[in-house]
Amino acid sequence: MALTIKEQLSSPGGWLKFLVKYNTVFIFVLLVIFSAFISDVFFTSVNLSNLLKQVSGIGIISIGMLIVILTGGIDLSVGSLVALLAVIFALLINMVILPVAILLTIIIGFALGSVSGYLVAYQKMAPFVATLALMTVARGLAFIYSKGSPITFNTTGGLFMSDFANNATLGIPNIAIIFFLIVAITMVMLRYNVFGRLIIAIGSNEEASRLSGIKVNKYKFLVYAISGSLAAIAAIVVASRTNLGSPNMGMAWELDAIAAVVIGGASLNGGKGTAINTLMGVLILGLIGNILNLLNVPSYPQQVVKGAIIIFAVLLQRFENK
Amino acid sequence: MENSKQEYRLEVTGITKSFGVVSVLKGVNLKVKPGEIHALLGENGAGKSTLIKILSGVHEKDQGQVFLDGKEIQPKNTHEGQLLGINVVYQELSLVNDLSVAENIYLHTLGANKFWMNWKKITQQASELLDSLGFSIDVTSKVRDLSIVQKQVVEIAKALAEETKVLILDEPTTVFDPNDIKKLFTNLIRLKKEGVSIIYISHHLDEIFKIADTITVLRDGVDTGSVAVAETNTDAVIHLMIGRALEDLYPTRNIQIGDVPVLEVKNLSGKRGIVKDVSFSVKAGEVLGIAGLGGSGRTETGKLIFGADKKQSGTIILNGKEINTKSPVDAVGYQIGFVSEDRKEEGVFLPLSIRRNISVTNFDSISSKLGFINIESEYKNILGLIDKLNIKTPHSEIDVKNLSGGNQQKVALAKWLSIDSKVIIIDEPTRGVDVGAKIEIYNLINEVAKKGVAVIVISSDMPEIMGISDRILVMHEGTIYGELPKEKFSEENILRYAIAQPLNKNI
Repeated sequence: MALTIKEQLSSPGGWLKFLVKYNTVFIFVLLVIFSAFISDVFFTSVNLSNLLKQVSGIGIISIGMLIVILTGGIDLSVGSLVALLAVIFALLINMVILPVAILLTIIIGFALGSVSGYLVAYQKMAPFVATLALMTVARGLAFIYSKGSPITFNTTGGLFMSDFANNATLGIPNIAIIFFLIVAITMVMLRYNVFGRLIIAIGSNEEASRLSGIKVNKYKFLVYAISGSLAAIAAIVVASRTNLGSPNMGMAWELDAIAAVVIGGASLNGGKGTAINTLMGVLILGLIGNILNLLNVPSYPQQVVKGAIIIFAVLLQRFENK
Repeated sequence: MENSKQEYRLEVTGITKSFGVVSVLKGVNLKVKPGEIHALLGENGAGKSTLIKILSGVHEKDQGQVFLDGKEIQPKNTHEGQLLGINVVYQELSLVNDLSVAENIYLHTLGANKFWMNWKKITQQASELLDSLGFSIDVTSKVRDLSIVQKQVVEIAKALAEETKVLILDEPTTVFDPNDIKKLFTNLIRLKKEGVSIIYISHHLDEIFKIADTITVLRDGVDTGSVAVAETNTDAVIHLMIGRALEDLYPTRNIQIGDVPVLEVKNLSGKRGIVKDVSFSVKAGEVLGIAGLGGSGRTETGKLIFGADKKQSGTIILNGKEINTKSPVDAVGYQIGFVSEDRKEEGVFLPLSIRRNISVTNFDSISSKLGFINIESEYKNILGLIDKLNIKTPHSEIDVKNLSGGNQQKVALAKWLSIDSKVIIIDEPTRGVDVGAKIEIYNLINEVAKKGVAVIVISSDMPEIMGISDRILVMHEGTIYGELPKEKFSEENILRYAIAQPLNKNI
């Protein structure tokens, strides 16, 4: 009756299933080929590294969004958290030494995420409501702490960070490397670590999880705290790129993050989604913007195209559920 | 198919249907004459519901043909089915609570042709229809306000509001008293005389023998042929349904029950007030049954011990030490397992694979301190369990939603069998499970008990609880009304305690 792993992998129809399963990868590849054909500039290293730098910030919060969505929740606060944490980072970097500034920013991110986590997990507040509240609070605080204008880095630590953020290693922008590392770690955690398994279990059936003796509240709390920490890393990255922290950063990024996760095939009901597919979702969204820019399409039509692509991608995923 | 046109109203040949990897129908044939009442029998999971859902257009068949009056039909949805004259009275009521009786009866024709509704006509027709069935129900009242019996009548009237060639009734009498059943049967016989073909699904064999002309039995997705009611009897039909005589359903038990209790419950009461002052104990290797009517607190008692419901007062003692199970997390820590009666909502993770389902309780033994899972030992464990529990699946990566009820239940059980438990509480171990899997589950329960685990089985299925328990507690309104030792097991005794009556001394 039972089959070995090897036999399982060579099950009939393996190829077709493979195509459907990795449909986001194929959409991505198709877009790359398409872009290469219509623009000479696309495959230049300047353009590609710009593209990667642009998506890294949203990409990092998209990973946080993914793990929250996997539990069946949502985190609307991440865009505002990026703004608040970027301001905080800029303030800190001008006050304390760099490692302390980085560490403190991440700790504050964790703490801010914990607020949502506490409200959702222990006060049973709807994730949409709890994180919506935190979203406006964080944006407001960002304006208060920055007094409404950007805070520029003015220390050697700041110089170092902006150098780091705008340089590349082996041709890959440093901040993209950070993003990819986070994707890789998340991939491993979701697949091979109990943490990942349990948050997927909670997202697919919370009551069954509770009755299986899983500490549901603890994990629900943790995913929001992690999402907040990732927002802190994203804030450090985007602030360093521009050498400043501004309360206007991360505007509507939570929506782009949700879009990326959804394009990556995750279910908003929870329990379904992978890090690699979210990476693809981020890259697809970034690519669309990039191509349209290269084609000199103004920004308003760009939004229309983005929306259309989201619908198209989600419709395609229907085949997967067949 | 020319000559079949004369003889059969409905002819079904070689129907197959799979959901995912699970094939539910494997070549079903069914022939129904005009003016015939045709009983469709079979255990849960035999494929009856799937078959009628194909006939009515809810599901599409994979293979095979359906002929209505000699013409092949393939209804794509229930509306097409209704237009063809196939109407179904479903077991689960399909009424709209906030609409009136009349609106519900004519729901499918509302606004179908004209923009304006003819309220007067609809109300009048509905009330005539109900009168002709012999039931008087106010057609202007909201369905929400009807009794369950009245709802069932409306459901039947709804099916008859359309011109009907084939009427399918799925367990129509579960809520009826004998008088209502008589009325229903009078109507069915009238319809039969009018030439309507009726497919009648029921677990009540006495009803079948009273009203049906022909019987077709489904077993594991195949039909075992049709017989005329006049030429068969109850025993023969049961044999056809389960493929064996009834006696071998419950395995014989020969288990040494320990001397000291593993689990003791003293004066347990729940916060919700459903369970009041419950005390009992279970020994190692013992299977303790908890019976009682629905709402008597059976399930809640199990959930209280497991920490899934909040405790008001009372003590729980495990192996001589008092424990406090404030949540399932605590209970699992004390090696207490719980299999819920609501498999789909509380028992399994439908969208996840068998492997991910079972591993959920078992990470401690297959992962490192930092939580990294040893995939190899995970597979070894899961494949071993699939083998041991005889879960019918091509491999461990099949999503549980694609398994049959019986196999889903085995997955739910496997979660607790893969870890060492001291106490396992199983609520409705075989609800919605077919006969073959039932026997396997009973054997598993025995095997678990043999290892010295204290097993508590909660069940509303009386033959089942008598067949597998060593001792039965009967609950009534949240308290344990009585305890039955094995020699006093009988449906009558359980029922007497369940309705707070003393045992009949003569038995």
